[in-house]
Amino acid sequence: MTFQTPPAVEVRNLAKHYGDFVALKNVNVTIAAGEYFVLLGPSGGGKTTLLRTIGGFQKPTSGDVFLHGKSVGHLPPDKRPTTMVFQAYALFPHMNVTQNVGYGLKVAGLPKAQIADKVAHALDQVGLTKFAQRKPHELSGGQQQRVQLARAIVLDRDILLLDEPLAALDAQLRKDMCLELKHLQEKVGITFIHVTHNQEEAMTVADRIALIANGDLVEVGRARDIYRAPEKSFTASFVGENNVLKGKVSDANGVSVTVDVAGAKLQVAKRDLPVSTGQNVTLSIRSECVALETVNDSNAPTDGLSMLGAYDESVYLGLTTSHLVRLPDGTEMVSRIIADADDTLPVNGAPVRLRWKPTDIRLHVE
Amino acid sequence: MNEYENPWFHGLKWAYLLLVVLTLMAPVLYVMYISFNANGFGANEYVFTLEWYGLIFSDELLIGALRWTLMLAIVVTLVAVPMALLAAKYYKAADNKLFPVFLLLAPLFVPPDILGSALLVSFKNLNAVFIWIGDGLGTSMFDSWFRLSFLTATIGLIIYTIPYSFVVILITMGRYRKEQTEAARACGASGWRAFWDIEFPQIRAGVFSASAFTVILVFNEYTRTSLLKGGFDTFTTVLISQMLNTGMSPQSYAMSAMISFVAIAAIGGIIILTLIRAEALARIARGKAEPVMS
Ligand SMILES: Nc1ncnc2c1ncn2[C@@H]1O[C@H](COP(=O)(O)OP(=O)(O)OP(=O)(O)O)[C@@H](O)[C@H]1O
Ligand SMILES: [Mg+2]
Repeated sequence: MTFQTPPAVEVRNLAKHYGDFVALKNVNVTIAAGEYFVLLGPSGGGKTTLLRTIGGFQKPTSGDVFLHGKSVGHLPPDKRPTTMVFQAYALFPHMNVTQNVGYGLKVAGLPKAQIADKVAHALDQVGLTKFAQRKPHELSGGQQQRVQLARAIVLDRDILLLDEPLAALDAQLRKDMCLELKHLQEKVGITFIHVTHNQEEAMTVADRIALIANGDLVEVGRARDIYRAPEKSFTASFVGENNVLKGKVSDANGVSVTVDVAGAKLQVAKRDLPVSTGQNVTLSIRSECVALETVNDSNAPTDGLSMLGAYDESVYLGLTTSHLVRLPDGTEMVSRIIADADDTLPVNGAPVRLRWKPTDIRLHVE
Repeated sequence: MNEYENPWFHGLKWAYLLLVVLTLMAPVLYVMYISFNANGFGANEYVFTLEWYGLIFSDELLIGALRWTLMLAIVVTLVAVPMALLAAKYYKAADNKLFPVFLLLAPLFVPPDILGSALLVSFKNLNAVFIWIGDGLGTSMFDSWFRLSFLTATIGLIIYTIPYSFVVILITMGRYRKEQTEAARACGASGWRAFWDIEFPQIRAGVFSASAFTVILVFNEYTRTSLLKGGFDTFTTVLISQMLNTGMSPQSYAMSAMISFVAIAAIGGIIILTLIRAEALARIARGKAEPVMS
């Protein structure tokens, strides 16, 4: 990929150690200007560490960070073109909303009238005009986070870092604010880098998502691709609700590969992946792509796109119902169906068939 | 108050507290009482007067001592409190906390006469070393650096007062969240600016308390001051040498009472201010629901 202008953020071979503990190992990532980029991953994976290193709150152990093509490794946070929104407790409690939002402009030495204008505009953008005179402790959690947003965007910096900005909010408010964040980013057009461990939040806001786990950047891709076509089995297991099956390749000589899983021979597209016969591989199928069929005696699993198992139980989740099926080797598979659970269900232990379309199953070799 | 508690027991606890305070304060109150008696200690007749206080302020020696005391208090406070503030700040950021806290609090556990005389000996030796260096260089420039003086008394009192300031400031810092400093940095403030604009206003109460504390400690201190002072006297050293030489005079009672008044007023002021502040904050907080934080 070539860029006319340098990317907003480029992280090269970045590693961060805390004593013996390796929080980040050799991370490389490039984020384009104007992108809404999400760092997603399990707790303790290193997301915050990566974000704080980009912001200059932590020094990398090795590697480098470039912002707009310039190495910033030696610069403190206040000398970088970044600003940051924190999870909580970051508002200045002795200042009211106006003073909080205007603080960066005051530090920059802007004239008072100009500060007032910009603050008013920023408060308008986050819908807090009415609260301008309140102190932080007089605001709800959601309002406090909006103040943080206003305080950040008022600075006109072109990279905004957000560390779990919605984690302290309840589920409904988080959903609403996700959309607000997305619209705000589209309006101001600057680069947002947003850390979360909530995949719904990530899918809502992200142009692209980077998956981070165990100090590794596992996979980067557009939100849709990460969900529908994960490259790595870890991505499949973390994003969406995927059935992850382990198996051994028994034939790898065509455009499709045959994999032995729990006694069944499954067909999966090879996608030019380097596989050879006898190799251990992983397969993934999203649970909503798995159909459940009752079995009559004549049915034998020969087509490579279905498996037989014993019906276990159903879990009613409102919109969908998850049917759990146990494979002969003990692995549990899930078939998620939009339907009411009242339909007559197979009895526990009854033989059932799980079936999917050829495009829904993916091969992972790593 | 625990609603299941026996009300008599509750009353008893208060009575006990009051008794303790009265026992501790009775001699001081008695001294204050005598200091306003025209006939002095042990007289049959009590006649209210401010004469003894008037005498203090017309006595050259005492006014001089008061001036030295004030100067000492101001200089020690101006040096010790910022040092304690820095120490508390670095202490919070330090990984290994045990060693620095031991170092800082150690002077508290050394008896005053031992600390005082140890410093006295050190200054004497230092003085000798400096004179020797001066002789070697052919100058008398260094001769008086560590001769007993205002400087040596100041150093002794700084060592004595820093632990108190450190602890008081550290406690007020406990509630401060470092995210605020980081947020200020993210807004473009330098480290120093972030401290001054954001952290300091929130720990100001602690810094003021520490300052008041230091002033009182310097006013009250006798042992270290008398060992380390140069050719001057403080209020307390005058008072005590008078008591030792000529016994308590009505004027001594007035001096003692005055020191007590100053100390009680300062501490009382801090407590009342803190209570008012806490009450105001609680009132505001009660009105609003706590923000959602998890
Ligand atoms: N100052 C530190 N000293 C030692 N270890 C640390 C320090 N900060 C973070 N770590 C460790 O580094 C790892 C990565 O931490 P980080 O905060 O980046 O995770 P995260 O992905 O943001 O997790 P979460 O979703 O829980 O916030 C964790 O295992 C954490 O324990
Ligand atoms: Mg984190």
